Amino acid sequence: MSAKSGSATAERAEQAIKPSQNLSKEDCLELFKQLYLARYFDVRLIKEKKRGRLRGTLYSSHNQEAILVGSLFGLAATDWISPIHRDMPAFFMKDFRFGVDNPNRLGMSIEEVCCQVWGKEGSPGRARDNWSHIGSKSKKIIHSTSMLAGTIPVAAGVVYADRMQGGNAVCLTYNGEGSTAQGIFHEAINYAAVHKLPVITIVENNQWAYGTPVEMECPTPDVADRAKGYGILGLIADGQDVFDVYDKVMQAVEHSRAGNGPSIVECKTFRAYGHGDHDDDRAMKYRPAKEIEEGRKRDPIAVCRKRLIELGYLTGADKTSYMAEGKNAGESSNDDFPPEIIEFMNKGIEFAMNSPMPAAEEAEQWVFWDGDKP
Amino acid sequence: MSATTVAPVAVKKNYLTALNEALAEEMARNPLMLCQGEDIGKLGGAFGVTEGLQATYGDHRVVDMPISEAAIIGSAVGMALNGMTVMAEMQFIDFISCGFDQIVNMMATYHYRTAGEVHIPVVVRGPAGAYGGGALYHSQMNEAWFCNSPGLKVVCPSTPYDAKGMLKAALRDGNPVIFYEIKELYRKREIEEELPTEDYIVPLGKAAIRREGKDITLVSYGQNVYHCLDAAAELENVGVSAEVIDLRSLVPLDEETVFNSIAKTSRVIVVNEAPMTCGFAGELVARISTKAFHLLDAPPSRVTRMDTPVPWVKPLELHVLPTVDKIVAEAMRIVKF
Ligand SMILES: Cc1ncc(C[n+]2csc(CCOP(=O)(O)OP(=O)(O)O)c2C)c(N)n1
Ligand SMILES: [Mg+2]
Repeated sequence: MSAKSGSATAERAEQAIKPSQNLSKEDCLELFKQLYLARYFDVRLIKEKKRGRLRGTLYSSHNQEAILVGSLFGLAATDWISPIHRDMPAFFMKDFRFGVDNPNRLGMSIEEVCCQVWGKEGSPGRARDNWSHIGSKSKKIIHSTSMLAGTIPVAAGVVYADRMQGGNAVCLTYNGEGSTAQGIFHEAINYAAVHKLPVITIVENNQWAYGTPVEMECPTPDVADRAKGYGILGLIADGQDVFDVYDKVMQAVEHSRAGNGPSIVECKTFRAYGHGDHDDDRAMKYRPAKEIEEGRKRDPIAVCRKRLIELGYLTGADKTSYMAEGKNAGESSNDDFPPEIIEFMNKGIEFAMNSPMPAAEEAEQWVFWDGDKP
Repeated sequence: MSATTVAPVAVKKNYLTALNEALAEEMARNPLMLCQGEDIGKLGGAFGVTEGLQATYGDHRVVDMPISEAAIIGSAVGMALNGMTVMAEMQFIDFISCGFDQIVNMMATYHYRTAGEVHIPVVVRGPAGAYGGGALYHSQMNEAWFCNSPGLKVVCPSTPYDAKGMLKAALRDGNPVIFYEIKELYRKREIEEELPTEDYIVPLGKAAIRREGKDITLVSYGQNVYHCLDAAAELENVGVSAEVIDLRSLVPLDEETVFNSIAKTSRVIVVNEAPMTCGFAGELVARISTKAFHLLDAPPSRVTRMDTPVPWVKPLELHVLPTVDKIVAEAMRIVKF
C-alpha cells in the first residue's frame, strides 16, 4: 500500500491525544471483530456467486473494510450516513456495536441487506433497484443512486434540515476518488462550506476508478488538499488502519459538532479486485501484478491484529487465530472467521433465499405519493 | 367586524404578486417550509417573486444559494428527506438543465425506489417562456424533459388566480413538482384579477375551459392560451367557433376535459411553444389519436415552435414560435379538412 500522507493539510490537523487512545479493550476487540464481519460478508457473497446461488454484480469492499468500520464506530445514533457501491457492509454495520439483536439499532438487519442482494421482497426498497441502492429514513441512511457523488448535496440538505429542527447530527458520505471529478462533488461541498454544514466527505482513495488510475482522475496526489480551497478541514487517513480512520473521522465529527462545518477525510487504500466481479479478469490485465501484491501486504485485519498484540489485547493462541488476512475469497475458508460471524451471515442468506420476489404488479406502484394512505 | 368598517376596495393583482402571496402564506402556514435559490433573499429574486420573504422569515428559511442548480435541488431533496418542504427557485427555467441529474435521477425516483418509504415535497419553480426577446437561454419551455421522467408533476399556470392556487397546491402536494411560471405574464396588466382573501388551492391535474365553442378545440397552456384566445376571437369573425382549453397541468393530465371537448367539436389543435419533436403537444396528439379517434372528423394537429433554439431579435423569434396568425391558419385548414 502506498499510503501517501504528510501533506501540509494533514500535518496541521494532527492532534495531541488521539480519540482511539481512549478506546477500551472491549471497543478495540469489537473493531477487530467488525473487520472480520465486513470481510466475511464480501468473501461469502463472492463464494455464493461462484456457487451459482446469487446473480448480479458484486462491488467488493475487500481490503477497504477499515474505512467503513473505523468511520462508523464513533457515530451517534442520531447521525446519518450515505454509503455507495463500495460500502455494502455499512448498511448493516451502522450502529453495530449497540448489539446485533437490538431492535432499536439504527442499522439495517442482515436479513434486509441479504434480501436486497438477492433481490427479494424483504429488501428495504423491495428490490426496485439493485446492490447498494437502498437506504432508510428511519435508520438515517441516505438512499443512493448510481450517480457518483450525487448524494453529497442530499446529505447537506439532510443536516441543514436537522439543524433547523434543533438537531446536531453529522452526515458521513462515502465516495471513491473517481467521483471527485464530478461537478456535484465541488458544488455540494462548496454549498456545505458556505453554510458550515456538518457533512463529512469520506474519499476512499483506492487508486482506481473502474479502469482508470487515480492520476488520470485527480490532478494532485491528495484529494484532501482540496479542502483548503473551501476553507474547510481536510484530513488524510491510512485507510488500512482502522484506528487511524477512527481518529481522523472522529476529529472531523467533533469539528462539525462544534459548528465548524464540513470536511474531507481522504482514506488512502487499495482496491483488492476488479471494479466489480465482472471486471476481475480484465483488471488482471490493466493492473500490474506487482501492484496487487504490494497492496495485499497491508491487509486491514493484519494491521489491526498487530496493534492489538502491541496493546496486549490479543495473547496466546488468540494472536494467530482466524488468519483471514492476505487471502482473497477463493483462498479463505470458514476456518478463517469467528463462528458467530459465519452464523450471522448464514441467518441473513437463508432468510433471503427463502424469501419471495416482490409481485410483478409492484413495478407500477409508488411512482407518485398518494397522501398518507396505506 | 364592526358595522362602521368600510369594505376594502377590491384590488386586482398580477401573476407575480399572486405567486409571492402563495409563498408567503405557505411559509406562514408551514414552519418546516424553506425557500432557496439564487438572489432570492436580500434581492427578493431576479423578478421579485420572493420579495419581502427573507425579511419576514429570516435567512435560514429564505436562503441565498451559491450559483449551483444541482446543489439547490439536491439539498432540497435532502431537506425533504428529513421532514421539510422546499421551494427551490431556478433564476430562469433554462438553468434547470444544470440541476438535471438531481431532478430526474435523485428526486423524481425517490418515492419509487424506496417503495413508498420516502416522498419528496419539493417544488422547483422558475420563470419560463419566450416572446420577450430573451434569446436562447432565457426563453425555454423545457417541460417535455420532465414529463418524460416518471415521478415528477409538471404544471404551468396562466392566470394570477391559478398561479397562486396551483403554487399552494404544489407546495402541499408531497410530490416533486416542476412549476413553470410565464415571465411574460408576471406583470401583464390585462390579466390582473382579484384574488380570494381566504385560503384556496387549485388542484393539480384539472384543466380549465377558457372559452366555449363548438367547431374546433384549441388546447394549450401558459402564454399560448392567450394566443389561442386571440385566435378564437379572429375565428369567430369568420364564423368558426373555437373552444379554448388551458391544460394548467401536464402531469397529471386531465384527458377527460380534452376528450369531452373533442366530442363536441370533433377537431383539435394542440398549441405549445416548445419545439415540435417529442414535445408535449405530440404526446397529447398521440393520446387523442389512440383514445379519441372515433370522435374526430379531421386529423389532430399541433402548432409548436419549430425545431430550433429560440433566437433573439423579434422577427427571428416570432418566426419560429406559435403566433395568433399561425394558429388561425392551421384552424382554418383543419376546419375545412
Ligand atoms: C456519474 C457517473 N458516471 C459513471 C458511472 C459509472 N461508474 C460506476 S463506478 C465507476 C468508477 C468509480 O470509481 P471511484 O469513484 O474511484 O469508486 P470505486 O469504485 O473505486 O470505489 C464508474 C465510472 C457512475 N456510476 N456515475
Ligand atoms: Mg476508486
